[in-house]
Amino acid sequence: MFGLFRRSVQARAVATTVALSGVLLVALGGFLSFSIGQGLFEARLKQILAESESAVIDVQNTFAASSVNDEVALQTIMNSVVPKLEATGVADSRRVALLRTPGEVGLQLLQSPISAGLDTQIISQAFRAEVRTSAGRVLYQSIQLESLVDGAVRLSPGIVVGSPVEIPVAGKYELYLIFDLASEQQTLEFVQQTLVVGGLALIFIIGGVAYIVTGWLVRPVKVAAEVSEEIADGALDVRLLEKGEDVIAVLARSFNKMADSLQQQITKLASVSKMQQRFVSDVSHELRTPLTTIKLAGDLIFESRESLDPSLKRSAELLNGQIERFEILLNDLLEISRYDAGAVRAELEIHDLNQVVGMAIASIDPLAKKRDSQITVELPEDDVLAEFDARRIERLLRNLLANAIEHGESKPIHVRVGENTEAVAVSVTDSGVGMNKAQLERVFDRFWRADPARKRTSGGTGLGLAISLEDTLLHGGALDVWARPGEGACFRLTLPKVQGAEVTSSPLTLPNQSSESGDLS
Amino acid sequence: MSPKILVVDDDNALREMVGIVLTASGFTPAYCPDGDQALSTFKSSNPDLVLLDVMLPGKDGIAVCKEIRAISGIPIIMLTARTETQDVVLGLEAGADDYIVKPFEPSELTARIKARLRPITSSVDSVTIGPLTLDVVGHQVLKEGRQISLTPLEFNLLLTLAQKPKQVFTREMLLEKVWGYHYKADTRLVNVHVQRLRSKIEEDPDDPKIVATVRGIGYRAG
Repeated sequence: MFGLFRRSVQARAVATTVALSGVLLVALGGFLSFSIGQGLFEARLKQILAESESAVIDVQNTFAASSVNDEVALQTIMNSVVPKLEATGVADSRRVALLRTPGEVGLQLLQSPISAGLDTQIISQAFRAEVRTSAGRVLYQSIQLESLVDGAVRLSPGIVVGSPVEIPVAGKYELYLIFDLASEQQTLEFVQQTLVVGGLALIFIIGGVAYIVTGWLVRPVKVAAEVSEEIADGALDVRLLEKGEDVIAVLARSFNKMADSLQQQITKLASVSKMQQRFVSDVSHELRTPLTTIKLAGDLIFESRESLDPSLKRSAELLNGQIERFEILLNDLLEISRYDAGAVRAELEIHDLNQVVGMAIASIDPLAKKRDSQITVELPEDDVLAEFDARRIERLLRNLLANAIEHGESKPIHVRVGENTEAVAVSVTDSGVGMNKAQLERVFDRFWRADPARKRTSGGTGLGLAISLEDTLLHGGALDVWARPGEGACFRLTLPKVQGAEVTSSPLTLPNQSSESGDLS
Repeated sequence: MSPKILVVDDDNALREMVGIVLTASGFTPAYCPDGDQALSTFKSSNPDLVLLDVMLPGKDGIAVCKEIRAISGIPIIMLTARTETQDVVLGLEAGADDYIVKPFEPSELTARIKARLRPITSSVDSVTIGPLTLDVVGHQVLKEGRQISLTPLEFNLLLTLAQKPKQVFTREMLLEKVWGYHYKADTRLVNVHVQRLRSKIEEDPDDPKIVATVRGIGYRAG
């Protein structure tokens, strides 16, 4: 549910609309209910007070006009008061009590007439005390009435109105009229129910309307999002439908304009990049024919160098070496241009990494011997099997080893192989000149050299690590490097055991990592 | 007499240089600078082997290769600068026996040429495989009395397989025995030539009976 709110603008808009209008409706309903209740009550109260006043005057007059002295006659008059008052009036729900004021010294024997079923307890003593001192005014108090309806106690609001009455001979009495407001309460409840039902219906209607309207507004945005997605996925010529003059049409138009300009830029860049790639590839190929001639000629001269005088002989040797370097450079350039053109496919097979490492070390051995570098190897005993292109990985390792020899200052070079459940790894560590931070950042750049002024002895092209990185990425692996000036460098290749699997950690650690399994950069 | 090598290449310097290398190695070079004249030069010079550049002005090397194959089985070695393109496969399918990638070394060139010119030797005079009879001395293949024309390379390939029927040859073994490669080479050479051979000797090349494929390993005769 929460996720839906986070994902869907529409759900959020509808929920907000419903919530806000719900709050407003509750407030409005509350206010209406309150003022209707108040209005009903006041109208009824006014009527009750008017009735009560006339009733009190009526009673008072009855007693005043009676001028009876004997007890029985008085009791008869008193008894007639209650039914009379019960019968008059608009509402049939009034009840009457004529109560003797406590502490009076008149005729004690007279009974206080009370309507049937009336519990005089509901008339509080405090109210009675107020009535006694009211000096003939009619007072009222809201009370709670209990009545039995179908065996259940029902509470309803009521009003008790009271006034002192002077009865000849008998002395001070209090006349109480009790009015039941159940019908007003019913009316109010009916109004409240209607308000609740109407409010709920209104909220549903508002929710529905909000849903339709926001859906109508959100749809173009949704379409725009889908189209953006498609464009991002490479369908550069997908566009939005431009219709009408409203803000949505403006959105569509500007979106399409943006897509147009993006497409133009991308197409332009792609064609420039393609031209460049073609150019590099063509140049490399075009150079091959003259290079073949040069190579053949150089080789013939080199083969007969013994018969040349010393300066010519040395020239022949230099020529021969440089032709070889030129050829390697050309091959590297071609390889890079293949990567740039996306024309590289790895020939994936299951290989033993230990074996490939061994092959790479064997082929670099002559160079290591020449530079007096000792290579130590730390291999797991079992085969380290993984899916990779053996030719590329061997070339990559050879390149890492050649770098280590070149920058290793003839100090020992350590090669390690490791594996975990998801990946295999090789690290090549030297204790040579190392690199500083700035150099580290550029180490995979094309034609970048750690020290341009350095003597180039192993004939590297400056493309080696760039190609190594491309080879690594082709396998979905990682090529990490650690280096410190004067301490040496460590290159670590991590390859997934199965192509396409994600690798989260390397089986080998770099020198600055203390944990058991190395993090991947 | 020294073997005659026809060099078909549009690059004057390379053509001359290859000629020098060939002469130095005891071959007699002949030259042709473009594809249109290649066939007539081939006919007039009657070489023992052709070195053919793939990219030629006019008719390209692949078309020239097909023309020469139509009239002769002599060894053809393609010279190519692009190994990653279809050129290599197209050249081999057109009938070239082998290819050399530019830039190459003189020793590599002469080694490839010598491997192709080496006479086919066998301890036996004739071998029978299925319906085929191979006459090693006469370099002939007879199928139900009918002669099938195979190039020397195809003959050598079939002979190698047929001499040890039932033995499975890996592509690397065949590259060494038939092509003379002692290091890892392009296995496409084997695949393409087995296909060409099958198209000549099998009843149904798609369902080969004489030269069978052993999946994941290589090939086997019978």
